[in-house]
Amino acid sequence: MSKAQAVQVSPLKQFWLKWRFHINILLILIPLGFMPKYFADAAMFRGDSGLGANQVSDIQVGPYTLDLAELRDEAPRADGPAGHFKLFNAALCKACTTEVKAVYLRIGKPRSLRAAGTIFFGAPYRMITSLPVPPRTRSDAQVWITIEGWDGSMHQASVPLAQASPATVAWLEKQGGTK
Amino acid sequence: MKHLTRRLALPILLLCAGPALAHNPMCECAPVDAEQIKCTGGFSDGSGAPGVTLDVIGYDEQVLVGSKLGDDSTLTFKRPDGEFYVLFDAGPGHVVEIDHADIGEP
Repeated sequence: MSKAQAVQVSPLKQFWLKWRFHINILLILIPLGFMPKYFADAAMFRGDSGLGANQVSDIQVGPYTLDLAELRDEAPRADGPAGHFKLFNAALCKACTTEVKAVYLRIGKPRSLRAAGTIFFGAPYRMITSLPVPPRTRSDAQVWITIEGWDGSMHQASVPLAQASPATVAWLEKQGGTK
Repeated sequence: MKHLTRRLALPILLLCAGPALAHNPMCECAPVDAEQIKCTGGFSDGSGAPGVTLDVIGYDEQVLVGSKLGDDSTLTFKRPDGEFYVLFDAGPGHVVEIDHADIGEP
């Protein structure tokens, strides 16, 4: 006759003992689900998947040309009381990188070089800026690019917002100018 | 000592690797009374903007009030006649414009 006695084990411990192997397999599988997004983001930030979404190529700004694209095809993101912002990427033409001092972006025509808008920073072949989008912007608004040269010259060009970022225009129409 | 450094290395590295916080400039202007306007500047990461240039510029690009924000990141000035805009200027590309039409009446 066996003298072994059943050891009292709590149900939680029993569950753990029974399923721990499978739970650990699950822990390996969950990150795999995020891998496609991770690799897509990595390719985007490295520039392998192009400058961004809705690229407008070869915009003539005075003697220079520039490519403009939004980082992601999405509505502007809120940044607390500062309002809504949209990330844009830009690439200068190869010949003009040494001549251009600064590139600015603004919705609506700038009043002056001081108020030329937000400045692009980063490498000249892939610069980025965070463009404020006032909620009352009209859907037929233009995005103005201002290029300041080292020689002190200033050149401007504009692109329709609807072309540069259709998602922003859709977002503005959804707001309906109520804010 | 070496042991302690090694133990603290990971927590310190984790603390240093905070996410890159955007700090977009922001500025709000509101009328104090019929004559005065008060503007408050700052950045969206919560920091203030004492000493940052704040100019009031007419539509003809004449600087009507050229000043800097005080220690409390605010500036109160007399409302100019005619059309103007307020320019919060924290450096090239870090500006906020507020049109006189957006300031409103008291």
